[in-house]
Amino acid sequence: MIWIYYLPVALSGIGGLLCLIPKTRFEEDVSIVASFATLGASILIAFMPDASSFGLYVDGFSKLMQLMISAVYVLTVIFSIHYLDHIENKLFQTNLYFLLLNWFVVSMFFTVMVDNVGLLWVGVEATTVTSALLIATDNNEVAVEATWRYIVIVSTGLTISLLATIFIYGGFHTLSLNALLQAPQATKIVSVGALLGIIGYGTKGGIFPMHTWLPDAHGRAPAPVSAMFSAVLLPVALYTIVRFVQIVPLESVRNFAVVLGSLSVIVASLMAFSQRYYKRMFAYSSIENMGVALIGIALGGNAFIGSVIIILTHAFAKSAAFFLTGNVLAGYGTSAIKDVKGVSKTMPLTGYSLFFASLAVTGAPPFGTFFGELLIMTRMISVYGAWFTILIASFLVVAFIGINYRIVRMVFSEPDGQYKHLDDNATVPIIGLAVALSITFLTPVIYMFLRGVAVK
Amino acid sequence: MFNLNEIFILVGFIQIALVAFMQWQIYISSVIKTFSVGSYFLAAFLLAAGYVNGEPYLMVLGFLTAGIRAWFIPGFLSRMLRRDRWRARELKPVLGIASTIILSLLFAVFGYVIYTWTMYDYVHSAFGAIPVALFLQGAFLIISRSNPITQLIGYLVMENALYLFGSLFPELPFVVEAGVVLDVIGTVMISGVIVRLKEEPAQNTEVEDSTRREDFTELRG
Amino acid sequence: MLLILSILQLLYVVLLAPLAAGVLAKTEELLESKKGPSIFQTYYDLAKLFRKESLVPGVALPFFRIAPYLTFAFYLLLTLVLPIITAFPLTFGPVVDFMGGGLVFGAAAAIKKLAALDSRNNYSHLGTSRAASIGALSEPIMLLIFIMLGVISHTNNPYVINNILQTSGAWYGSLVHWFVTIAFFMVLIVETGKLPIESHSMGELGMIDQSMEMEYSGRELALYKWGSYMKHFLLMNVFMNVLAVPFLVPMALSIPAVLVYALINFVKILVLVVVFALLNESVSKYRLFKIFDYVAVTFVFAFLAALVFFTTRPGGGF
Repeated sequence: MIWIYYLPVALSGIGGLLCLIPKTRFEEDVSIVASFATLGASILIAFMPDASSFGLYVDGFSKLMQLMISAVYVLTVIFSIHYLDHIENKLFQTNLYFLLLNWFVVSMFFTVMVDNVGLLWVGVEATTVTSALLIATDNNEVAVEATWRYIVIVSTGLTISLLATIFIYGGFHTLSLNALLQAPQATKIVSVGALLGIIGYGTKGGIFPMHTWLPDAHGRAPAPVSAMFSAVLLPVALYTIVRFVQIVPLESVRNFAVVLGSLSVIVASLMAFSQRYYKRMFAYSSIENMGVALIGIALGGNAFIGSVIIILTHAFAKSAAFFLTGNVLAGYGTSAIKDVKGVSKTMPLTGYSLFFASLAVTGAPPFGTFFGELLIMTRMISVYGAWFTILIASFLVVAFIGINYRIVRMVFSEPDGQYKHLDDNATVPIIGLAVALSITFLTPVIYMFLRGVAVK
Repeated sequence: MFNLNEIFILVGFIQIALVAFMQWQIYISSVIKTFSVGSYFLAAFLLAAGYVNGEPYLMVLGFLTAGIRAWFIPGFLSRMLRRDRWRARELKPVLGIASTIILSLLFAVFGYVIYTWTMYDYVHSAFGAIPVALFLQGAFLIISRSNPITQLIGYLVMENALYLFGSLFPELPFVVEAGVVLDVIGTVMISGVIVRLKEEPAQNTEVEDSTRREDFTELRG
Repeated sequence: MLLILSILQLLYVVLLAPLAAGVLAKTEELLESKKGPSIFQTYYDLAKLFRKESLVPGVALPFFRIAPYLTFAFYLLLTLVLPIITAFPLTFGPVVDFMGGGLVFGAAAAIKKLAALDSRNNYSHLGTSRAASIGALSEPIMLLIFIMLGVISHTNNPYVINNILQTSGAWYGSLVHWFVTIAFFMVLIVETGKLPIESHSMGELGMIDQSMEMEYSGRELALYKWGSYMKHFLLMNVFMNVLAVPFLVPMALSIPAVLVYALINFVKILVLVVVFALLNESVSKYRLFKIFDYVAVTFVFAFLAALVFFTTRPGGGF
């Protein structure tokens, strides 16, 4: 039955290949079938035991990641079909778009299931290769510049994590996750490797020192691609960091991760507060969420579960938010916040769900992000004391106020007639929001999945 | 017959000198050629290492390096140059050339100091300083130039540095090395497309630094 | 005996330096498929200049007239203290070491610059400022090179350095030595005014050293020219005898060996002259502000030698 574990990679890979068949609208049908089949396979895997042979390392956390990737994949494909019609000057044909989208998903599935730190790097770098062109789908100079920054910054950052991989190998003389997680004693060289790994993969995950590509890429990519980036690509990068923290559970490594995570939260909150473009604002919100999740990963225990809850809720809520910004962008033709007025009047479904999505990603109570943050804060008080926790929490509040204030102004104001053609197509985002909300009630299930994984 | 350590030092310092040379060159085609020469040296080192240790695996890797890093990628990049090859050049260096050369050297020295202070105790080899220095020099090449192809070369220099660093340890699994090579090829190919897209408008409008224009305000802040 | 050898070395340099310049000119012309002047043309020129009348600008100080004699004397002094046909110190050997030699070279250059300023000629001023700004950067590099040679030999004595490189294959083959050699070669091109730094056409745009002697004529000009032939000859000797090919230089006192080596040494110099001729014919001149990029690369090589030393010394690290 081991072949079932390979199904997600195989199905989406084949789906990508079939997109090459030049037949009108065929690639869309193929992608829908492939994405649903992948979702089915992921659900099937969720009920199977953990696997750790044949080059696989699939534990509860991997299964959750697979479920998340395939679910967002389904939503993105469905939304893309409709949304691509809004893009006038496309860089390539739609079948190439779907080909890249499918293979982008393949590279992420590959990353979360391989049993080799080296191949983990290969998988993450492959996500760069497959996703770079997607950013430039809307072919204009600014998008191309954003793509270029994405390639250069992320590739450079990932060379650091390759260095980290070499250090890990130098310390343990093996790269297999199975062997590494059971390795007896972490040596000094390995801790250097883990620190470098956090910086390197942090680049991809939008963690502080090298997060600068993220707002550019998210702000300029077409809505479904931004959704994919924010919802699943960043968590996949965090997945690798989780593995590094698991391999080297030293105090220094954790403190380092907490510092980087806190800096990400602080920088992102301040930047989100002063944004003039709504997609960039949500991009900074992603950095903030990933920062909080990284803190949780570093703290371990219940905080790690909190991180996973944040990651999952954020994935669905943020993808919904980006889909909706796509609708707004298509309707109003501008990405500046001040030019968008009265979305709730012009596009009622989009407007109200955008409001709820914005609440969800900033950590408002009924959503999982709030409970995840609560779990992390609780743990943080016991480890780092109350003052530090209050500092981080106050920056979260800053981001909450900044983002929601702007979204409220966009949604509940009087429309001033500055819109082109309105297309209030919000089915997919509403489904996403519903899933995001339901994660709150699925917390026991998540806990069950993570029982064997918990970061020590 | 050979002393591998000496070959490592020789190849490593040739690479460092070549990066300083790249900082000197304004013309893109000579930067690409310099990179190609550096990669041939790297390949020669791997071949020598494979020969001395009697490991066919390293020799295969050497041929792979010669074929892909020294021959294919530079060839691909020089085909990216749209205008006459001898005219494609860095239009507006961020800093003066002389100061970037000196800074590149300082980055190498910085890499050496960092290495001896932090990592030397763990790696137990003074030679590890060479790849670390090269790594920082490559990063500086990316920062100091605005031409996309030169930036890409800077990234590849960093990759080469890691290759050199990896050879200090007993061999990495071949699957990993092969995967890394594949990814590098993919990155270069994708970047090629983006470089073309970036150059098109620049050619039409004759604007040297398009990022200062009005539509780019969104990318600030 | 040492005194006789000293005089022999003095004559060797004074008499053969113009010949090397003549061979360079001839080779360049031959490479251009021209017939070219005789290799003795430099001697004819010098003889002619000595016969000519000397004119001095009315505003110049007496110093202006003395400068050529002074610089010539400095170069004569250097002739006596560098390893040219012997690898053991001659009578005046202990007078100065490498640093001191560098200082004497610098003093001669400074006198030449002051005299050029004194001439009140605009082109001389131009050349002086160019030479000064390039020299300000290239001389520290020279110093760095000497320091690295000191690292190799634990001394600044050119004779000792030659002996060590001649006998120790490990040092001769080391990357430290070769980076120093490359750096010295690049400085040599700057100091002797070869392409790509300086072209010896009559266009004043690229002139550096040439323009500083514009107001001189007759015997003073002859001495300047002869002095600069000697300077180039000496620097080429230092490069060949101490750094690049330190072999065969007699390390023990033996008259026949020294005499034979004198011939071999000239062959070495001719090889370097041919290299220079090839360089002059194959590269084009840099624009003036690009010279500083070139000097920066030279600095990189000299400094990398230090880095190599630190990396490769036993035990490595600090």
